[in-house]
Amino acid sequence: MKKIVYSLIALALLGLLAFVVVTQPRGRDTEIFATLAGDSAKGQLVYTAAGCGSCHMAPEAAGEAQLVLSGGQKFPSAFGTFLAPNISPDPVNGIGGWTLPQFATVIMDGISPENEHYYPAMPYTAYGKMDPQDVADLKAYMDTLPPSNVASLPHEIGFPFNIRRILGGWKLLFQSRDFVLQGDLTPQVARGRYIAEAMSHCGECHTPRNVIGGLKTAQWLAGAANPSGQGKIPGIAPGILAWNDEDIFTYLTTGFTPEFDSVGGHMAHVVENMSKLPESDVRAVVAYLKAVPPLVQ
Amino acid sequence: MKLVSTLAVLSIAFAATAFAQDAEDPFADAVETRHGLMLQMATDLGTMGAMMKGEVAYDATAASKAASNVAAIASVLSMAQFPEGSEYGKSADSYALPAVWTAQDDFLTKIADLNTAAVAMQTAAGTDLEAMKAGMAGLGGACSACHKGYRQPE
Repeated sequence: MKKIVYSLIALALLGLLAFVVVTQPRGRDTEIFATLAGDSAKGQLVYTAAGCGSCHMAPEAAGEAQLVLSGGQKFPSAFGTFLAPNISPDPVNGIGGWTLPQFATVIMDGISPENEHYYPAMPYTAYGKMDPQDVADLKAYMDTLPPSNVASLPHEIGFPFNIRRILGGWKLLFQSRDFVLQGDLTPQVARGRYIAEAMSHCGECHTPRNVIGGLKTAQWLAGAANPSGQGKIPGIAPGILAWNDEDIFTYLTTGFTPEFDSVGGHMAHVVENMSKLPESDVRAVVAYLKAVPPLVQ
Repeated sequence: MKLVSTLAVLSIAFAATAFAQDAEDPFADAVETRHGLMLQMATDLGTMGAMMKGEVAYDATAASKAASNVAAIASVLSMAQFPEGSEYGKSADSYALPAVWTAQDDFLTKIADLNTAAVAMQTAAGTDLEAMKAGMAGLGGACSACHKGYRQPE
């Protein structure tokens, strides 16, 4: 009997050790960022393509106020409600005090300067595929935005999801540095893949998730339930979306569907961003959307 | 005889249900009106859109007519088609969010912005294809600015 008890205790300790090891926040090597200098003019394009402001601007912000990234927008999900934090360059309530390596670790690996995991409501699994120079440029641009001293609000997350440590296990399962679309790509499709998968993070909403919130990459861009619980997000993979190249291009630059209904909801932010990109980049996204594996609805 | 009375009861029940539906949704006309306005606007935008996409050749006269229609419809939009309560969940077929009324000033500003974009398009559509494309981006922005916060996504 004693033997069994000892065995169980040993097993439990082993399990705890495994948990601690697996869930330990471990970012990538940030040595390269020490040598990079950011270009804020180039960073503006990265910022627009990555859609940072769409989630981090204040709720209902319009016009110039959209550049004040004071946070506060709510993102309901099956795990609780996430509140976007202040990422303006304010040194106290924003991220003004972060170094470039810290910034890179945050957006590419989802690990805070305090060495805690961030929730994947922040699309670091996408941003982790970004080119380090683009990350440096992005930070240089964000440093030029107006600071806000509005304090970030805590997420509304219950047990057990409020234990950030378990996100280490989630990352082990779902954080990949590989692009979903593989194979020999034309330069245009490759550019589109970079914009769509690394920056604009289309898959975060348009790809269904499993019960623990991981993207089902085999059903890439198949459409998904809206995490808010209301309505659904349409599928945009070939075979599901029947729009031609011009239809998609017009939608991404004007917000008009082929029926000339207009974009609404959060996608309106995406169209606003896309319409500011060079035409060649939007055409690249269109080419990418036509190149991803077709699916049947 | 029994059949007749059953039918009578059924027809009264049917009439009562139909009446009850009318009574429950006093906003049906307003919702139908605004949907009709949107649909006509979509038709005219589609005329210009087909030229933009290269599906039909650019025709300055047809484009100008379509742009004038859009401007005319935009000028009709007001709170008259949005009586208080004609919102998503309360009125059948309505996708209008409560913010239409709680943030009414901003909602009306968005309608004013649409009118500005539509007036600009009246000139642009008759100028050339490139000018029309630019006008379309402006109009699209005005449409989605309103649909972003005031329309329930499907």
